[in-house]
Amino acid sequence: MNNDSKQPILLEHEADGIKELDNLLPRWWVWLFYICVAYAVAYMLYYHVFNMGDLQAAAYAKEQKIGEEIKAASIAKFEANIANLEPSKEQAVLAQGTQIYTVYCAPCHRPDGGGIVGPNLTDDFWIHGSNYVDSVKIIINGVPDKGMLTWRGVLKPDEITSVASYIYTLRGTKPPNPKPPENLQTGPAKPSEFE
Amino acid sequence: MNLETFKYDNRIVRAFAIATIIWGIVGMSAGLLAAVQLFWPEANLNLQFVSFGRLRPLHTNAVIFAFVGNGMFMGIYYSLQRLCKARMFNDKLSWINFWGWNAIIVAAAVTLPLGLTTSKEYAELEWPIDIAIAIVWVVFTVNLMGTILRRREKHMYVAIWFFIATALTVAMLHIVNSLAVPASAFKSYPIYAGVQDALVQWWYGHNAVAFFLTTPYLGLMYYFLPKAAGRPVFSYRLSIIHFWALIFIYIWAGPHHLLFTALPDWAQSLGMVFSIMLIAPSWGGMLNGLLTLRGAWDKVREEPMLKFMVVALTAYGMATLEGPLLSIKSVNSLSHYTDWTVAHVHTGALGWNGFLTFSMLYWLFPRLYNTPLWSKKLANWHFWISLTGMMFYVIPMYWSGITQGLMWKQFTPEGFLKYANFLETVIQLIPMFVLRAVGGLLYILGTFLMAYNLWKTAKSGVFVPEVEAQAAPRNSGHDLHAEQDPWKHRWLEAKPITLTVLSLVAVAIGGLVEIVPMYLIKENVPTLSSVKPYTPLEVLGRDIYIREGCVGCHSQMIRPFRSETERYGEYSKAGEFVYDHPFLWGSKRTGPDLHRVGAKYPDAWHYNHMDDPRLTSPGSIMPRYSWLLEQKMDKKSLPARIAALRKVGVPYPAGYENSEALKDLEKQAETIVTNLKVGSVEAQPDKEIIAMIAYLQRLGTDIKAQAVAAPVNTSN
Repeated sequence: MNNDSKQPILLEHEADGIKELDNLLPRWWVWLFYICVAYAVAYMLYYHVFNMGDLQAAAYAKEQKIGEEIKAASIAKFEANIANLEPSKEQAVLAQGTQIYTVYCAPCHRPDGGGIVGPNLTDDFWIHGSNYVDSVKIIINGVPDKGMLTWRGVLKPDEITSVASYIYTLRGTKPPNPKPPENLQTGPAKPSEFE
Repeated sequence: MNLETFKYDNRIVRAFAIATIIWGIVGMSAGLLAAVQLFWPEANLNLQFVSFGRLRPLHTNAVIFAFVGNGMFMGIYYSLQRLCKARMFNDKLSWINFWGWNAIIVAAAVTLPLGLTTSKEYAELEWPIDIAIAIVWVVFTVNLMGTILRRREKHMYVAIWFFIATALTVAMLHIVNSLAVPASAFKSYPIYAGVQDALVQWWYGHNAVAFFLTTPYLGLMYYFLPKAAGRPVFSYRLSIIHFWALIFIYIWAGPHHLLFTALPDWAQSLGMVFSIMLIAPSWGGMLNGLLTLRGAWDKVREEPMLKFMVVALTAYGMATLEGPLLSIKSVNSLSHYTDWTVAHVHTGALGWNGFLTFSMLYWLFPRLYNTPLWSKKLANWHFWISLTGMMFYVIPMYWSGITQGLMWKQFTPEGFLKYANFLETVIQLIPMFVLRAVGGLLYILGTFLMAYNLWKTAKSGVFVPEVEAQAAPRNSGHDLHAEQDPWKHRWLEAKPITLTVLSLVAVAIGGLVEIVPMYLIKENVPTLSSVKPYTPLEVLGRDIYIREGCVGCHSQMIRPFRSETERYGEYSKAGEFVYDHPFLWGSKRTGPDLHRVGAKYPDAWHYNHMDDPRLTSPGSIMPRYSWLLEQKMDKKSLPARIAALRKVGVPYPAGYENSEALKDLEKQAETIVTNLKVGSVEAQPDKEIIAMIAYLQRLGTDIKAQAVAAPVNTSN
């Protein structure tokens, strides 16, 4: 078949009046096809024959290592300074704290803090220590035996301090049908300094 | 020469045409309602039958199988007769094809809102309907092949090759993917589990797009475009090359729906590279169409039908370039699970299939009724309104997809997820959801204009039920180009059976190479000894999860990215899904992944959240599932479910379903009721919500019992 694209052969056959030219394949199209096939072969050789690239598990392990180092450093920096933290009374901080509380804490402690699975946060009978720094520590470390999750690495440092500040404001709010106190035997804990 | 006289059947074409228009409007309206629910969840009126999870499969099935399906039959029944110079093989088969297919669609429209679904995308219909589909499809195939064998044209035109490939491949895909063991009249469990089920499903799902939405429509383009333009097809040899390349390569690309999942790396890579190799063969079809219009662009200005065709081909070209790009693993890591995919498929559905269908309808009605189109002006309005609608649909979806994909991956300098709360990334998208619904509304509006225009056209003309034609019997002439046939393709075009067999070989290879090793080689799914079958209560819960279509919005597949493991927990492993009949990995995250949701929240949280998601998660767009709190779980069916699951390979002890299973179920239900009490929720142990909670709390927890983590496969 020797024809050129300027004068393509009009094939003599037709189907229901449809005729066909026999133009050469566009060169760029042919090259596109070749390049894609070459890429495919190269890709398979690179990853699955010569094992030169990281497959997904290995790539993940590397990504995870780098990310964990960055995160561990920022957590260590925050936790070294916990003893000096003070509850914030700023509106913006408390607003952020409210939001975080709703998403992460309310499922167990009820939106109003009255307690469901987790204990009541509005009474004065706190189980694990009653000052602000104690509650920051509880949020960070959790109480695995009792189902309180550890939020270290999940909540950012500023989120932990803001949600702890918000929780501090819940004390004494007296929501309806609260969960009964769970720390009676050790006597009432110190009241909040907000009162 | 002795000419034979025969008649083309227009009645069957008209029947399919009317069905196409009606189902088009139904399918698009279902889509619009689903779109509205995404920014206004109350739009489902708290009715379980039209809640998003059940409505979405109704929309996709109606658009794909009802609208495009009828459109495909319409085009094939019209063009095949004329290309073969023969009436359809058998009128009875034609009408069985028509009524059978449309009865199946009605069955789908009834069962899907009732929640009778397999949950496998684009294969949601339950087993009795699956059998009906297989039968009707065989009827169509016999009618197709019979007509071809009785043709008066010696050579089969390119359109017919595409029709043959369609008929064969759809049959193969449908039957293999639908193999299941029934547990009742409308409930079955697929014989495949987990990774294997995922692979078979996406081998099917991807090629449903390829061989239901693409190849038949390419065939129809090859008929209607040159007919309408009055121009010869650009290149015969391009037809040959792109046809064979397309059908051979397409079938391998399924795993690109499963990139970064628990599917073995080698299969993912094959899916990716075959997708890349698809670019040129796909574009071959677009080029052959657009270049056929060389010298006829003045006609495109005049003729609305050609305008639709040009947009259809352009959309086809865009979608088939974009598809391979989305299959590149690094692009997919951003795009997958987001609205980017939704934008992509709607470029195909609204642009390629929709506009090509409209184009055919505008061509056919004047010919069926022997009268000019009632209003060209109205057709032009349809064109511009629907094109605008399409833009309003896809552009916000691209915006939304890329926005959400980036937000999911964003880390702070301290190494924490910037948007740790999934809901933040959803609320961001709501304006885009509103715009998308506006786009959909415009598109439907255009469709109504067309329906009106075609109605008026029909009214102003007289239906021509049969068209008389004359042709010489086959084989009376000699082949003029035998000497010009280096690849013997002209020869092949006169041999339908050989061409059919070769096509079958071409489409079978990819599936065999990918699917068979997944069964034979154990390393492909490393076992985890701590993974156990679901308890009876969890089985019922899982089946409710399937019924409600939760998988439409929630994945259960955490990809190995830090941005996912930080958000959801350890990434998903192949061995965790060995008892998942069907797999529920999902393909879209309108809500968060649920694979590790087990034990994350108290039971009472789930109870309240299902009752009204906005109580626990303000701003959530999830529908309420308050009926789960009211309805009693179907304990009676439990033995049949357990027995069917055992048949597909879940190792429940023999006889377990006879008494033990129900006792275990009730015991577990009581535990949950007790847990709920702790959370101040009073519930009865026989409600569906209890089973749902049991299932959700189990999700992704088995692996935590594994003392030593499974060795990570770092090579291949």
